[in-house]
Amino acid sequence: MTRALIAEDEPILAATLARTLQGLWPGLDIVATAPNGVVAVEQALALRPDVLFLDIRMPGQSGLEVAEELAERWEGPAPFPRIVFVTAFDDYAVQAFEHAAFDYVLKPVSSARLGKTVERLRGALEARTALVPDALSQLLGQLQALAPRAAPGKRLATIRAAVGNAVRMIPVSDVVYFQAIDKYVNVVTADTEALIRVPLKELLPQLDSAQFRQVSRSTVVNMGCVTSAVRDDLGKVMLTLRGRPEKPRVSPVYAHLFRQM
Amino acid sequence: MASISPPIHQQRRARLRRVLTDFPLSIGISALLACFISLVTGRFLENMLVSVLIGIVAFTIVYGGRLLLIKRPVWRLREWAMFAALAVLAAPVAHFTGLYTAGLLLGIRTPTLAEYPSADRISMIVFTFLGTTLMVVLIRNRERMRRAQEEQAEAHLRAQIIERQALQAQLRLLQAQIEPHMLFNTLANLQGLIALDPARASDMLDQLIQYLRATLSVSRSETTTLEQEFAAMGAYLGLMGVRMGERLRYRLDLPPALRKARLPTMLLQPLVENAIVHGVEPKIDGGEITISTAIEGDSLVLDVHDTGLGLGQAPARRGGGVGVATSRERLEALYGERASMTLNPAPPQGTLARLTLPLEFDE
Repeated sequence: MTRALIAEDEPILAATLARTLQGLWPGLDIVATAPNGVVAVEQALALRPDVLFLDIRMPGQSGLEVAEELAERWEGPAPFPRIVFVTAFDDYAVQAFEHAAFDYVLKPVSSARLGKTVERLRGALEARTALVPDALSQLLGQLQALAPRAAPGKRLATIRAAVGNAVRMIPVSDVVYFQAIDKYVNVVTADTEALIRVPLKELLPQLDSAQFRQVSRSTVVNMGCVTSAVRDDLGKVMLTLRGRPEKPRVSPVYAHLFRQM
Repeated sequence: MASISPPIHQQRRARLRRVLTDFPLSIGISALLACFISLVTGRFLENMLVSVLIGIVAFTIVYGGRLLLIKRPVWRLREWAMFAALAVLAAPVAHFTGLYTAGLLLGIRTPTLAEYPSADRISMIVFTFLGTTLMVVLIRNRERMRRAQEEQAEAHLRAQIIERQALQAQLRLLQAQIEPHMLFNTLANLQGLIALDPARASDMLDQLIQYLRATLSVSRSETTTLEQEFAAMGAYLGLMGVRMGERLRYRLDLPPALRKARLPTMLLQPLVENAIVHGVEPKIDGGEITISTAIEGDSLVLDVHDTGLGLGQAPARRGGGVGVATSRERLEALYGERASMTLNPAPPQGTLARLTLPLEFDE
């Protein structure tokens, strides 16, 4: 039996989607309905469903962030779930989905449209084609390309980090990597570390995207400081950095950045 | 567009000012001519007095005639002809009167009327005529410059008015905008409720209609009453309450005495929508929204308090709705210093948006 998880913050919409799905796909077992992104990740990891219906705009974490985190934390024998994104009206997101390998449905969900999605899902699950994280990385890449970025002139040149009662000025080019810790970001250079109170998500658009690349949800590395990428037995990719002993892990979503030419 | 020409008393004052500035001009011309004549004949002081007196009379005739006869500010052939006629008339009269008055004042002999038809006298009259003509031309020039300046000022004023109107139109358009995300999500909920709970679906539809009516009719009126505004916000929060379930709690507090208080449309709604979209909706546990109002001195104070995520915590979202900056600009344009909008953190968590306006009531 195919098992599904629905992540939707509006209770009536969650109930309606569940009802419509059951009508279209009697063999589907809806194992959980998550009211927000954080719960969705935990339940998906605990229950290992085959299909995820993710609302894009949710409190806690967006549907896209849920997919990203799952790609990073998904382990074990169960294949990565099929994902269907659900959205009411997100112009630019829909634009990205047009080109992505992911299915999406628009709210209000039409029964006929959802029927097509169900058909596609059943076909894919029977064929057991593995859904590669590449599809997700492609989608995220497209969304990032569509999202506004700082013009070269407005890029951050110096990080101002408070250390005690002094403010340290750290040239962005000296940074080896940025590590998100809760609402803070740890700015790591070859010889120092400093915490700043800017979320990684806000920092990222202000950096030169050619030099600084996101390699996982919590890490952005200076590509110039990466000396090698090593794939272990489980297929996980780790980076070696110039001047730092840490070996940050690369999310499968971003593994394509470190493939041989 | 309303006429922008100034009232009558201002026009009179402007005319007086014009006479006062043009008069020294004619005296100046007279003095110049006196110097010229003195170079030929000597007797400087006598010539100066005569010349200035002639100038005053000529100015009075020409200017008086101009004020009485010429109403149009434009100078065409007719106006020029009238001026020429005035100058022709003014020259002999001014010449004779001036000379005669000077004679009386200085006690010197002046030529009688019978002596006038002589080459000497006539050439002096022609001289006066030329002086008068010079005066007319200079006055005309000044007038043209003044006119150009006025036109420029008027064009500037008009441009400002047009700009303001364009801004207002743009604002109205913005105001009438309903966020598509909100609309589609509400419709999706309605669709669901029709199957799950038709009675509630009907209630929700009522609220949607009330909210849409309030939001879309904005383009047709500039002000509204607190009663109407609170009803619209009640409908909006009712919709959001159905959608968000237990995550949203809300309270509307409108004292009966303030029901008929007037306020501009679309000031309260963006604050309430912000409290939802940036405060309560993105917060996992949701929160409470309280809308309350009170009188402080001669001001109306409107508070939108939420226990949501707090300022700057919610993820940025694209487009939709009227921004706080736009509302502030509008308040500034409508009331200047007498109104304000503030956004402040409301510990332990959340935001307090406060709107202060001059208290006005519906008649």
